[in-house]
Amino acid sequence: MTQHLLFKDIDEPRLTTLEVYRRRGGYAASERALAMEPAAVLAELNASGLRGRGGAGFPMGRKASFLPKGDMPKYLVCNADESEPGTFKDRELMQKTPHTLIEGIAITAYAVGANRSYIYIRGEYELQADILEAALEEAKAAGLVGDRILGSGFSLELWVHRGAGAYICGEETALLDSLEGKRGNPRLKPPFPANQGLYQGPTLINNVETLATVPHIIAMGGEEYARIGTETSTGTKLVSISGNVRRPGNYEIELGTPSRELIYDLAGGPPPGRDVKLWFPGGSSSPVLTKDDLDLAYDFDTMAKAGTMLGSGAIIVVDDSNSVVDVALKVAKFYRHESCGKCTPCREGTNWTVKMIERIRSGEATPMDLDIMASVQTNIIGHCLCVLGDAMAMPIGSMIEKFRPEFEEYIEARRREADLGSNEPLETPLQVLQGAR
Amino acid sequence: MPRPELEEITFSIDGREVAAPANMMLVDAAKRGDVEIPVFCYEPKLGQPVGACRMCLVEVEGIPKLQTACSTPVKDGMVVHTQTERVRDAQAAVVEFLLVNHPLDCPVCDKGGECPLQDISFGWGGGRSRFIEPKRHFQKPLELSPLVAIDRERCILCYRCVRFSQEVAEDYQLILQERGADTYVATFDGHPYVAPFSGNITELCPVGALTSRPYRFRARPWDIEQSGSVCTLCPSQCNVSFTVRDERVLRVLGRDNEGVDDGWLCDKGRFAYQAVHADERVTRPMVRDGGVLREVSWERALSEAASGLGRAKGRVGAVAGGQTTNEEGFLLQRLMREALESPNVDSSPFGSRPRADLVALANPRLQATVEDIEFAHTVLVLDCEPIDDAPILDLRIRKGVRRQRTKLAVATSRPSALDPNAIASHRFAPGGGADFARALSRGDESVREFGDALRAAGEEIVIIVGERSASAAVELAEALGLADVGGAGIIEIPAQTNGRGLREAGCVPGSGPGYAEAPDGLSTPQIAGALDAGELTSAYLLHVDPLRDLPGSGAWAVGLERATTVVAHAAFLTDGVREHATVVFPAEGHPEKEGTIVHPDGRLQRVRPAIAHQGENRPEWQVLAELSARLGVETGVMTAGMAFQQLVAAVPFYAGLTLDVIGGRGVRWPERAQATGLPEAPAPAAAPAARDVAPSNGHLRLGTFRSIWASVEVEASPALKFLTARQRAELSPDDAQRLGLRDGERVEVGVNGTRVRATVALRHDAPPGTVFLEEGVAEDAANVLSGEPLVEVKRS
Repeated sequence: MTQHLLFKDIDEPRLTTLEVYRRRGGYAASERALAMEPAAVLAELNASGLRGRGGAGFPMGRKASFLPKGDMPKYLVCNADESEPGTFKDRELMQKTPHTLIEGIAITAYAVGANRSYIYIRGEYELQADILEAALEEAKAAGLVGDRILGSGFSLELWVHRGAGAYICGEETALLDSLEGKRGNPRLKPPFPANQGLYQGPTLINNVETLATVPHIIAMGGEEYARIGTETSTGTKLVSISGNVRRPGNYEIELGTPSRELIYDLAGGPPPGRDVKLWFPGGSSSPVLTKDDLDLAYDFDTMAKAGTMLGSGAIIVVDDSNSVVDVALKVAKFYRHESCGKCTPCREGTNWTVKMIERIRSGEATPMDLDIMASVQTNIIGHCLCVLGDAMAMPIGSMIEKFRPEFEEYIEARRREADLGSNEPLETPLQVLQGAR
Repeated sequence: MPRPELEEITFSIDGREVAAPANMMLVDAAKRGDVEIPVFCYEPKLGQPVGACRMCLVEVEGIPKLQTACSTPVKDGMVVHTQTERVRDAQAAVVEFLLVNHPLDCPVCDKGGECPLQDISFGWGGGRSRFIEPKRHFQKPLELSPLVAIDRERCILCYRCVRFSQEVAEDYQLILQERGADTYVATFDGHPYVAPFSGNITELCPVGALTSRPYRFRARPWDIEQSGSVCTLCPSQCNVSFTVRDERVLRVLGRDNEGVDDGWLCDKGRFAYQAVHADERVTRPMVRDGGVLREVSWERALSEAASGLGRAKGRVGAVAGGQTTNEEGFLLQRLMREALESPNVDSSPFGSRPRADLVALANPRLQATVEDIEFAHTVLVLDCEPIDDAPILDLRIRKGVRRQRTKLAVATSRPSALDPNAIASHRFAPGGGADFARALSRGDESVREFGDALRAAGEEIVIIVGERSASAAVELAEALGLADVGGAGIIEIPAQTNGRGLREAGCVPGSGPGYAEAPDGLSTPQIAGALDAGELTSAYLLHVDPLRDLPGSGAWAVGLERATTVVAHAAFLTDGVREHATVVFPAEGHPEKEGTIVHPDGRLQRVRPAIAHQGENRPEWQVLAELSARLGVETGVMTAGMAFQQLVAAVPFYAGLTLDVIGGRGVRWPERAQATGLPEAPAPAAAPAARDVAPSNGHLRLGTFRSIWASVEVEASPALKFLTARQRAELSPDDAQRLGLRDGERVEVGVNGTRVRATVALRHDAPPGTVFLEEGVAEDAANVLSGEPLVEVKRS
C-alpha cells in the first residue's frame, strides 16, 4: 500500500542541508543525468510514464517533448502555487527536502534545454520559500545550479519567486502573467506555453511533486519506475488526506491502492460513530464521490471513469455530521472569491451560485431553485477561458445530482423555520420582488 | 516589411461553403457567409483577441469543446455550426450571465437604442431572466474624467477600455481593480483618466458603462442623424461622423479609415465640436466702426472689404490658415494674383520654402502612406512631436512597434512621448533638425551610431518629419535610397491642417496651383515686415490670427497696426482679429464646410457639411468669389463643386478627379497615373545653414512647440476648457538646478525686455542648455519670442 520514494528520508533530521541530502545519496541523479544526452534523459522520463502531479495528470515526458528544439531561450517553471483546497503535499516536500526539487529542476531543465528556471511559490508559504532560498544558495555555492553545473557544459539560472496570494495563479498561464509582473489572469490558449510561454519563449511548467520525482526516476531508471503502480498510472503519489478523518496528513502511496485503504487504514477514517457521507478524491475542484465509491482503486483512470478526477491527490473526507449544503456553500464561496473575473461564465456563475445557496440557507428557496442551480453549473462547464469555472461547477453539479433529496429536505426545513420562527417581515429580494414590502 | 498575405480558403458554416482568407478569425470569416456571430470583447483594432466574454462560442467539427470564434483562425475545410442547439444554449447562457449584474435601466441609459448588449440580448438571449438575487451595486455615475462618465453597474467587464489604454494609447492608466464579480474598471489611485485619446473608450464600450459627459442625455438614437466628414483641427485629418440633432452637432464619432486614422480620434477632434455652437462665435459679418467691430450686413461688409482691398491693389499680403480648404485657397490666390495684382500669398507660418523644394517633396516616389508607418522596417520621427502635431499618427507608430515589431528612431530637440518605444533617440539644438538630417545623409561620424540603428532593420524606412526639416528629409530619403523602395518614403506633417493642400492649390509665393511657376511674392514673415515698412498697406487673413498662430507676433502686431485694411475670416475674435481687423467675415466651422483638403500623405478628402450654417454664416468660397467679382475678376464659381472643378483644371496631377471619385475614403493622388502631372523639379536652392548659438551667461537656447491643446477651439469648448494649454517652460533638471529653479515654479522667460510668464516643467531627457516654450496659447504665447536664439529664465 505505502511505498516510499519521495518520502523515503523525509523525516531525516537536517535533510534540508546539502550535507545531509548528499549523504543520503542526493545529487547522484544529477551527475548521472548530466553524463547522459538530454534526449536520453527525456527518454527515461517518457519510459517512466510519470503523469503530472499538479492536477491534470498529463504525461510529463510528452509535455516536455512539446518544446521546440533549437537555440531560443527556453524556460522551466516550477508551479509551487499549491492552492487547491485540501492539498498540502508540496509544502511538506519543499519544507523537508528542498534539494530534491532543485535537483529535479536541474535534471528536467537539462533534458529540455532550458537555461532559466523559476520556482513560483505561493506567498503564504513563507517558511518554505525561505528554506528553498537557503537550499538554493547552498546548491549554487556547490556548483549544482548556476554556471556549468558539475563541470558540464550546461548552465541553469534558478530563481524563487513568491506569489501574492491568488488561487488563479496556479493556473499555468496566469502564473506566467504573474511572473512577468502583470495581473495574474489566464491567457487564451493556443498559443500553449510550450510554444509561447514566459516572455513569449517556449516554457515547460511542472508541479513540485512532478519535478521532485524526476531524480528518483533517473536514479532507478524509467522502466523500473513504471513497474510501480498501474499500467497507466505509474509510480507513487503523495496524497493529502484531510477533513473528517482521525489521522489527517500526507501519505505516499502506490497508485492503484483502493481508496478505502487510504481513508480508513492510513488516515484512520471518520471519528467513531460517524460514516463517510461524501469525499473529494482530488481537491475541492473534483466532483464528489460517496461512500459507495470507497472501493474504487485510487488511480487516474479509475477516478476518471467514476466521473471525477484524481487531481492533485487531495482527499477531503466529509462525514455524516455535515450538511451537503454547507459543503457546497464553502466550495462555491471559495471559487467566487478566487475567480479572476476575466471570463463571463466563471465570474457571474460562481457569484450567482453563491447567492443561490445563501438563499437556500435563508429559507427562501424552492426546489425549483435546484434546477436553476444545476443548469447554471451546466452553463459554466466547458464555456470558460480556463478551468476555474469548471472547478466550481463540477463539484457543485455533482453534489446536487448525488444529494438532491438532502438538498430538498434542507430547503423544506429552512422554509418552515423561516416562516414559523420569525414574525418580523423579512426584507429579502424575493419578497421585495413579490411585493411583500 | 511584408504585409500579411491573404490566401483564400473555403470552409463551411451552417452548411454553406464560404471563401475567406486563411487564418482570418472565424467571427470575421463568418460574415463572408452572411452569418453573424455575436461578440463583446472582440475588437480587432485592439490587437490580439482575448476570448474573455465567451459570447462567440461556436461548434467546430473535430473539436470537442465549443470554441470562441473570435480567437479561432479559419482553416481550409473547417466545418462550423452556429445554429445548433448546443451553440444556442451556450450563447443564451452567456447572455444570461452578462445580465446577472447588468441593471435594466435602458430607458435612462445613453446607450439605449444603439447598444450591442441590447441587440445581442434580443437576438441571442433566452428572453427571460431567472436571476432574482440582488445585483451588485456601485455609486453611479462617477466621473472617470471631466469627459467620460463611468457607470460600473452597467459594465460587463469586456476589457475593451483597459486594453485600449494599455495596448493602443499606451497611457497605462486604466486598470481592473479587485477580481471576480467584484472587478471594476478604474485608474490605479482613482485619479481622473485624462489622456489625449481617452474619449475613444466611450465609443469602444459595448454597453452604457462609459459615456461621453458632453453627450449625456442630449439625444436618443432615433432623434439623431449621422453625417460623415473629416476633422480639420489638425493635419491628421481623421475621418469622423457628426451626430446631428436639429442642426446642432452633439457628438463626434470615428469613421474607420485604415488609410487615415485606423478608427481612433483624439479628444480634441472628439469634443471640440462644441466650439461650433459657442456663444462667442462670430456668426455675422463685422466692420470696424469708431474703433470697435460692429455687426453689419453682408452687403456692407463685402463692399467695405472690396473698396479697402481695391485701394490697396498691388500692396496686399494674404496668409491662409490651416483650416482653409483647397477651394478657398485656390480662390484666395486667384483673388490675390488676378484681382489684386499682389502675388504675396502664403500658407506656411514659417514662410514657404522655395518652389524647387516643394516639388521635390511632392515627388510621388518619395511618398509614404499612413499604412506604411505600421509596416515599415524602421520609422524615423524627425523634428516633430506626433502627439502634438498629428496625434493619430502617434497611435499608428505605437501600433507598428507593438504589433509588427517596427523599429522606431526618434530625432528631435524636445523630448518625445515616443522615446520609450524607440531603439535610438537623439536630441539636437532647437532648429537643428535640418542639419541633423544632412549629417545623417552624409554619414557623418558624429551621427554614425544613430544612422546604423536607422538602417539596421531593413530598407523600408518611413521618415515622419516636421515642416521645418522637410527639405533636408528629402535629401536624407534620397541618400537612403527610399525612392526605389516600396513601403518607404516621407510623410511631412505640415504646421497646419491643410498645409499640403494649400501648397498644391497655389497658396505659396512664387508657386501657383499645381506647383506651376508664378511671379515671386512675399512669404508670411516678409508680409509682416512689409506691412511695417509700408510696402504693403493691406492684409487678408484667411483663418489665421497672426498674433496667435504665427511666429514673430511682435512684428505682426506692429505691421497690422499700420495696415489700413485688414480683412479676416475668423470664427472667434482672438486678439489679432479683435484689435486689428477692419472687416471680419464669419468663418465656417468644420461641420458647416464644404470642400476638399489634402492629407499629409497626399490623400484628397472631402469635407462635407453636416449642419446648416449657423447665424448668418455664408460659405467662404462664396465670399472669396464675390470679392473677386467686385474687384473685377469674375471667377464663375457658383457652387463649391465648381470651385473644385476649377482647382482640378488648374492642378495637372489632380486631373480627372471628381468629388465622386474622392468619395468617403479619399484618394491619394500620388498613387494615380496622373501623378506624372507634377512639374519637373527646378534646381534646388542652397539650403541656409542653421546657426547654433551656444548657451552662455546663464542664457538658454529657446525651442518652441505647439501643444495639441493650444487652439481656440479647445478654449471655446466647455468640455475641453480644462485642458486649455498654459505656458510652461520645459527644461532639464540639471539646468533647473543650476538656475535654482524647481518644478512648478513660476518664471519669466525672455530677452531684451520681451518676456513671457511660464511654469517650470522639468523633463528628464531635455537637451542641456535649452528651454522649450509653447506657441499658440492664449496668454503668454512664445510667438513673441520666436527667432530669438537665446533667452533668460528668471524666477518671477
